[in-house]
Amino acid sequence: MNLILFDLALVVYLLATALALIHLVQRKEAIYRLAALATLAGWVLHTLALVVRGVELGRPPLGTLVEAMSVVGWACVLFTLWAERQYGVKVLGAFVLPLVALSGVSGAWLPPGLGDLAPALKNAWISVHVILAMLGIAAFVLNFAGGVMYLLQERQLKAKRPGALYYRLPSLETLDRMTYRALTLGFPFLTLGLLLGALWARTAWGSVFAFDPLALFSFLAWLVYAATLGGRAVAGWRGRRAAYFAVLGFSALVLTLGAGLLLPGKHGS
Amino acid sequence: MAELFVAGLSHKTAPIAVREQLAVEEDKLREILADVHATGALSEVLILSTCNRVEVYGVADVPGEARALAFRRLGQHRGVDLARVEPLLYTKSGAEAVHHCFRVAASLDSMMLGEPQILGQVKDAFGLAQSCQTVGPLLHHLWSQAFAVAKKVRTQTELARHAVSVSYAAVELARKIFSSLNGKAVLLIGTGKMGELAAKHLVDQGAFPIFVANRTWARAQEMARALAGTAVPFDEWPEALGSVDIVITSTGAPEPIVRRAQVERSIQSRRSQPLFFIDIGVPRDVEPGVNELNAVFCYDIDDLRQVVDSNLRERLREAQKAEALVEREVAKFLARAQDHAVVPTIVSLRERLEAIRRGEVEKAYTLLPDADAQTRRAIEAMSQAIVNKILHTPIVTLRERSRGGHGRSWTEMVHELFGLAGRGEEK
Repeated sequence: MNLILFDLALVVYLLATALALIHLVQRKEAIYRLAALATLAGWVLHTLALVVRGVELGRPPLGTLVEAMSVVGWACVLFTLWAERQYGVKVLGAFVLPLVALSGVSGAWLPPGLGDLAPALKNAWISVHVILAMLGIAAFVLNFAGGVMYLLQERQLKAKRPGALYYRLPSLETLDRMTYRALTLGFPFLTLGLLLGALWARTAWGSVFAFDPLALFSFLAWLVYAATLGGRAVAGWRGRRAAYFAVLGFSALVLTLGAGLLLPGKHGS
Repeated sequence: MAELFVAGLSHKTAPIAVREQLAVEEDKLREILADVHATGALSEVLILSTCNRVEVYGVADVPGEARALAFRRLGQHRGVDLARVEPLLYTKSGAEAVHHCFRVAASLDSMMLGEPQILGQVKDAFGLAQSCQTVGPLLHHLWSQAFAVAKKVRTQTELARHAVSVSYAAVELARKIFSSLNGKAVLLIGTGKMGELAAKHLVDQGAFPIFVANRTWARAQEMARALAGTAVPFDEWPEALGSVDIVITSTGAPEPIVRRAQVERSIQSRRSQPLFFIDIGVPRDVEPGVNELNAVFCYDIDDLRQVVDSNLRERLREAQKAEALVEREVAKFLARAQDHAVVPTIVSLRERLEAIRRGEVEKAYTLLPDADAQTRRAIEAMSQAIVNKILHTPIVTLRERSRGGHGRSWTEMVHELFGLAGRGEEK
């Protein structure tokens, strides 16, 4: 039952992605509305799928990395729906949805068992640790998308040859504000999530990192975001530099995911 | 049968020398409208007179005759012979006239695609014709629909979105850097005409405060007054670089006056807040290298022209969307109008059959003097059912055919077949 729901959600997300990309090219209001509707429908299906899966498992659906990625996608879509309205950035979906769809597709294709968590990790504490970290990561996907959009728009403005994207992307100031907001939204979640994980690791294994590649990389990503936040708040960083850091931080997160899937460590596999 | 038509000339068909001789001001137009309408050749008439077009929209039995009459009268005003105008005129009737009307109102037929003035001009022309009582139901319906279509084009396409003048393109660029211009500080260096215009646009969008620097102090003060800004001594403007958001330069200086090094110094205190230079001076007032600095954008007059060109291409692209929208609206309008046109025929057809039925029922009653109420009810019901069943197919067919654009020949046939009075006059 719940697998069908996940598949259905994925199909609707793919449809929404296609519509969002068509809107990016054609800029027809009607297509945007369809895309927004499909996104919402996909999200509702996704929510249902997660709930049903949780009920079936008798625990939150956070037992494997693939499940965790699914939660990131879910939160990502939620944040995107909010940010599109809040900042009037109608093309945001075209940048975020492909990532969500991609994670869904790759999740569906991963061999079963890959990324399964160590049995020691299946308890309530860990669920809270995971959900906080995933909410943080979802906000950083938005932060990354905003940064990419900023860099694209800045390049267009510097080159003085308005291309197709110039007309579609919002102003630099709007993009910078949105990117910053995503950072301030994601950072507390990630910080708390990592802190919980570290505390638990110390009680369980007696060491915070315990040679776990996933933990190391996520700490690296956290450092990048902490530096960006500090630079923004204290040194008045903004614009291009902040956008580069958004990309850097996201790369660290992708490495974290790769480490979790491929390298042996305390998280599993 | 009276028909909707439009006849006229525009920037596409006639040179300015002819257009200017036919264009008339409001008072005169009032007079001409009344005269043309009084001849009785046109049951409804509206005249649109702008610097780019002179067009007569009317309803007449013989459009060709009405057109000659209207343009002879228009020409009289400045003594232009009809023979000189006639070869330049285009005439469209029926569906084509509706199409033309919608395109004009939506600014698709304008010299500058999407320019906003035309809608105001057609609204004025409509108001004038209304006040002269030369507008009837058909023109009224046509133009109120045209205004709605124009609004749809404005909101659903970007036909009129992007700037096509250099000074306004600069403002739009500023809005791609800063989301809102509210409270953005502007420094104007030099007092060239184009610079002033760009500064005015910025002020209109909420930019504040405005600083003006010029080599001639009196001129700086004068310009500052005009823009509700503050004049600053010419050698002090570099200090303002640290705190303003937009700099417009339009001096006649032979060498760049804003140097890269100066801007670089000011960046320290700006904490990479964007700084936008609009350089309208020729020769250029801002050193080109300035654009390479972080968070600094510098557009010279050629860059702005390039943006305008690109905006024009955008308009052309959007015009295709708008044309498709207009086509759809024309089809809708015609379908409704044709539905409307067959209604009188259907009504008289019903009346005719009802009269026959009544007559025959009365005859039957005289043959059946003892018929009780129940019998009478049965006779009524049966005769009505027969009439309705006979009428059903013809009415449906008539409606369908008229939507297919063949309404007129079918209504005429129905009139002839059933000997109906009148020919279902189109309004």
